[in-house]
Amino acid sequence: MDLYVAAFGFGLVGMSVIAIAAVGFTMQFGITNMINLAYGEVMISSAYVAYYLNKAGISIWFGMVAGALFGAMFSFLLNRIVYAPFLRKGTAPIGMVIVSLAVSLMIANLLLPIVGYYSVSYQDTTGGLLRAGGIVLTTNQIAIIGVAVVLMLLIHGLLRYTRLGKAMRATAANPTLARNCGIPTQRVIDAVWLITGALCGLAGVVAAMNSDSFAIANGAGFLITALAAAVLGGAGQPYGAMIGAVIIGMVTELSAAAWSPEYKEVVAFGILVLVMVLRPQGLLAKRGALAAAG
Amino acid sequence: MAAAVDSLVTAGRPMLVASDIHRHFEGLHAVDGVSMDVPSGQITGLIGPNGAGKSTFLAVLAGTLPASAGTIVFDGEDVTTAPAYMRARRGLVRTFQLPSEFGRLTVLENLLVAAPKNRGDSLFGALRGRKYWIDDERRLAQQARALLKRFGLSAQESEYAGTMSGGQKRLIEIMRALMLQPRLLLLDEPMSGVHPKIVLEIQHYLEDLRAEGLTILMVEHELHMVERLCDSVVVMAQGKVIGSGTMATLRRQREIVDAYLVG
Amino acid sequence: MNTYYATNLLVYAGVDIIACLALNMQFGVSGIVNFSFIVFQAVGAYAAAVLSLPPDSANGGFQIYVGGYQLPFPIPWIGGAAAGGLLAIPVGLVVLRRLRSDYQAIALLVLSIITNAVITNARPLLNGAAGLALVPPPFSDQIDPNTETYQFLYVGLTAVCVVIVFVLVNRIVNSPYGRSLRAMRERELAAIAIGKNPVRLKMTVFIVGGVIAGLSGAILVGFIQLWAPSVWLYPETIILFAAVIVGGRGNNIGAILGALLVPVGFEEVTRFIPTTIGPPGLIPALQWVAIGLLIIGFLWFRPEGVRPEPRHVFEGAPAREESA
Repeated sequence: MDLYVAAFGFGLVGMSVIAIAAVGFTMQFGITNMINLAYGEVMISSAYVAYYLNKAGISIWFGMVAGALFGAMFSFLLNRIVYAPFLRKGTAPIGMVIVSLAVSLMIANLLLPIVGYYSVSYQDTTGGLLRAGGIVLTTNQIAIIGVAVVLMLLIHGLLRYTRLGKAMRATAANPTLARNCGIPTQRVIDAVWLITGALCGLAGVVAAMNSDSFAIANGAGFLITALAAAVLGGAGQPYGAMIGAVIIGMVTELSAAAWSPEYKEVVAFGILVLVMVLRPQGLLAKRGALAAAG
Repeated sequence: MAAAVDSLVTAGRPMLVASDIHRHFEGLHAVDGVSMDVPSGQITGLIGPNGAGKSTFLAVLAGTLPASAGTIVFDGEDVTTAPAYMRARRGLVRTFQLPSEFGRLTVLENLLVAAPKNRGDSLFGALRGRKYWIDDERRLAQQARALLKRFGLSAQESEYAGTMSGGQKRLIEIMRALMLQPRLLLLDEPMSGVHPKIVLEIQHYLEDLRAEGLTILMVEHELHMVERLCDSVVVMAQGKVIGSGTMATLRRQREIVDAYLVG
Repeated sequence: MNTYYATNLLVYAGVDIIACLALNMQFGVSGIVNFSFIVFQAVGAYAAAVLSLPPDSANGGFQIYVGGYQLPFPIPWIGGAAAGGLLAIPVGLVVLRRLRSDYQAIALLVLSIITNAVITNARPLLNGAAGLALVPPPFSDQIDPNTETYQFLYVGLTAVCVVIVFVLVNRIVNSPYGRSLRAMRERELAAIAIGKNPVRLKMTVFIVGGVIAGLSGAILVGFIQLWAPSVWLYPETIILFAAVIVGGRGNNIGAILGALLVPVGFEEVTRFIPTTIGPPGLIPALQWVAIGLLIIGFLWFRPEGVRPEPRHVFEGAPAREESA
């Protein structure tokens, strides 16, 4: 039983990490209709940026900010240089998927000779352990939960109360109509890639913080987990992604306690399959986002 | 000129009977209890303001969208739960408002692919090799070429359909539908986006097809066209039928004129 | 050039050609973006392996796996092909029915990643990360696999398979059935409106492609006599996609060309670059970068590939004016 209580604690951290990643991923899809398969690689790249800063003696929290900035810039450039030109050319969504997969492959393999194949981890001696009723977490992990909560509130605030947020929601619902209503869709899209890129970068750093070690090879796993949470919640729905993150974060940690930690991503995948079979549009359905033609 | 029929009584049973069709999605009632009979061998128009639910209703009849409630009986057969491809095979064929040609197939291929009785159009038929299906192909190519000739597109048979003009694409779609030997043709704004010269051509083709016994249900905006072509008309607004009959009868009904008809 | 190098090249070329013909049928002709293609080759290889291997207690018992029936050729190859087809059934039923095409692709990609992870970790199934070794090649009882004669025999067997697959795929693609597949690829809604059942078409193509992929795996495992998860990581599918895109999608000759240019061509060209340049693993990493660039480059400049899908002109057609 203690195992499960501890796992519950890990689940809280896990869902926080996944939430940051999944909200960014789903917003990219919801507003730009782009399934960005390079998302996991951008996460890992940002994790490495924080790693090198950490090695140079800089605190991991500053590294987190740096990772977010790096993720924002990287994602913005990725869209400007690769995705947007293909979209302007009229490439179908399925073609964009192939493009983003090729990009993810290139990013991973450009990094590999630089950072190497072996796993690395952050050096952080500042934290202590906190115990509460069977839950054991490091202060860093508690902080990650805090960061996630703050970010979710900020996103909520952005979408609900700011002009940019409203413009994003309008563009997500109907890009042509949004443009005709005078919304500067180009600027909105740039903002989306910067903001979601920051989320992506930040998610990469906290995901790495929450693991014993990480390497380029973990990029695929990050992508799958964020994807599963996004799809579960309903593709393109930020609040759905938060719900999806809660479910997947908790279920994967509990299953890791029940069976084996190696299969966490398999469980996430299993949930993804279940969603696709039972309810492809996810929990908070967006107008036929996943439904097949006809 | 449309036959002056002042009522919907026709010889024989209607080709299609839609009963209390509802279609709602995410709280929006696009089709809110529509019932109508589509009389055989006539061209019936379906008109109404934008957002009336006409295209949605057509899509429900064709099976592209499932009905939330109601039944559809096509030539005596209940097809309410039949999938769209099945309805097409049984002779209930639709066209689309936006160009829906198969772009990277040639014009001739667009027609051939629609022909139902082709031995080569199955996995095992194809695996048995060319000799097995070439006779069917030749027979169907003859049929298709006859259609192309009739509709004036013989010279373009080997062009990619995607390179054709809007009007030509519309003709291709109609011909493609005809290869299925349909009994009821559902046309979704067949004249939209088409050059006026070709509009007249299409009108004549549809009249010829009606003379040959084809039943047509046509969503159309252009009221003069509707008046010239349709034997009777159904008017929809806000998901419901607000009137039916000939254009002349409808013009006499105040509510309809107020709601929709201008002049 | 020694014989073993040549026969090695030819067998790999044959396997790649078979795989590209299948992927072209699924992706190029029918529009199914099967990002899990390599899994079907892998299941064929594993099936052929466990059918031809002795029980896992043999050879000192250092491997753990299911099966081990020690069956002679051609059963392992038939088994491999069948395994590929059988796997396609549940995968296709889950993925190909209700999802829009880009989500289908993602689901298949994730399947590929996860299957590899599961097989790597579940050691008792197929010997985990180490994979299966000492797989008996066909006819190993009759002919010593280490001789040149055997190499030629293997090339001959592979060539026969290539010819059979080519004939079958060609018949499927260049037929009224192939035309229906292309129509579905072009505009699925309109295909439905003319009576095509897209689910049935996609399932059929998925299963047939799976059978061919499985066969290619059986051929390969019989030659290299081992098979491990590192051989079938998800990017392997991307190489095949690059091949089909470069060679010309929708064109069987294009698929063959792509197979020769990309998987075979790349391997051969990079063989001559010394691996001591730069940090370890630089050359393979740059290979992948080049594959990515190839895909993006061709999708931008020449999406139809080197040999595009041919225009089907029916006999007796009026002469076309070739556009300038």
